[in-house]
Amino acid sequence: MQCVEVLRVQAYFDGEVDAVSALEVERHAEHCAECRALLGHLAETRARMREELEFQEAPPQLRVSIDRLLDREMRAAAEGGAPRVRPTVRWRAPPLWLGAFGGFGAALAAGLALFFMSPLASNPVLDDVVGAHVRSLMPQHLTDVISTDRHTVKPWFAGHADVSPVVADFADQGYRLIGGRADYFNQQHVAAVVYQHGAHVINVFAWVAGSRALPEYSTRSGYRIACWKLGNLQYCAISDTGWDELQGLTRLLHAAGAADAPR
Amino acid sequence: MLPHLDAAYRFARWLCRSSSDADDIVQEAFLRAFRGFDSLRGGDVKAWLLTIVRNCHATAVQQQQRRATVPLAGDHEEALRSVPDETSPDPESESAAAEERRTLGRLIDALPDEHREVLLLREMEDMSYREIAAVTQVPIGTVMSRLARARAALRGKWLKDTAGEPRAVR
Repeated sequence: MQCVEVLRVQAYFDGEVDAVSALEVERHAEHCAECRALLGHLAETRARMREELEFQEAPPQLRVSIDRLLDREMRAAAEGGAPRVRPTVRWRAPPLWLGAFGGFGAALAAGLALFFMSPLASNPVLDDVVGAHVRSLMPQHLTDVISTDRHTVKPWFAGHADVSPVVADFADQGYRLIGGRADYFNQQHVAAVVYQHGAHVINVFAWVAGSRALPEYSTRSGYRIACWKLGNLQYCAISDTGWDELQGLTRLLHAAGAADAPR
Repeated sequence: MLPHLDAAYRFARWLCRSSSDADDIVQEAFLRAFRGFDSLRGGDVKAWLLTIVRNCHATAVQQQQRRATVPLAGDHEEALRSVPDETSPDPESESAAAEERRTLGRLIDALPDEHREVLLLREMEDMSYREIAAVTQVPIGTVMSRLARARAALRGKWLKDTAGEPRAVR
């Protein structure tokens, strides 16, 4: 006999339920041996797959041949006339197709290149960011105010942190606003806005920007960190997602920040 | 820079169960993606690209089936063989090369296609239900039930496998 909750338990395991449902599932699993066992099995399956299956990368020669193929295609399009030109340019030039922030994309590419070429000096602020992120992932630490409504989260910060960061729900783009939290590090109050992307938690920290510049992109203890300044605030987004996923959120926040700015 | 090439390559390899055809499928997919870039309207690039990879694979399979000049009975046999039967393994799959493959990979290969793809997209590519639904072109509810069945089947297979083969005990 299968418990009626198995699909919900699975969704909980996959990070696909909201905070209220998550609580219900946790309570249910306390009483239901079947679902407790299921959670163990799900974790075991995931661990084994990620441990034993190869995370293969595309062979370099495939990359080269696709590059050639697309070059040919682009030349053919250029000779063939106008209709193909726009899409080809957009596809091959990441800064343009990555989003509205062309310039940001270029800066991003440059930042990444710089990051991979030069070893970063130790930066205590980034260590604080990692520490705060890891702490936040412990049970009961993630959010002080749970809400998927930015009109609840943003005013809450006004009373609890020195700063009022950009807050928006990007659920439609895959970044769900979970809530907010006030932290203290770097000798000042820091606002943390928490998003969920798939199974991953992304913390976006914001504090009053100091004189010290932070690297645009860095990796610490396996976490990816993107930093940027907007207005007088320093933002740092951190998560264990891939760069693409993290940049997806930073782009949205940039767009939301630009829209928010008083003109 | 080619976005999501690694993910596209991995997905193609899993779909074809081999690396030989994956290269062709990925090339074709990137070409189609490049030509059809205007059809992407602000959605998720990775899900969109993997959808194209999946379509390219489906086309390749259809073409192979059409090209095969086997009589009808043979066709039928081919269709049967594409759903591996774990109780009576094909002697060829017992070859040295197949032996080398890791147990878990072999068990996953033996899952039905529609279960295998949701499982791999979820566990290996870490995609959300919504993204998986977009790639596999089924409702989210179907993604959830297939995922549950795939996970249960895989677990069943490996428990059976470990019980039957003492050397595989971990």
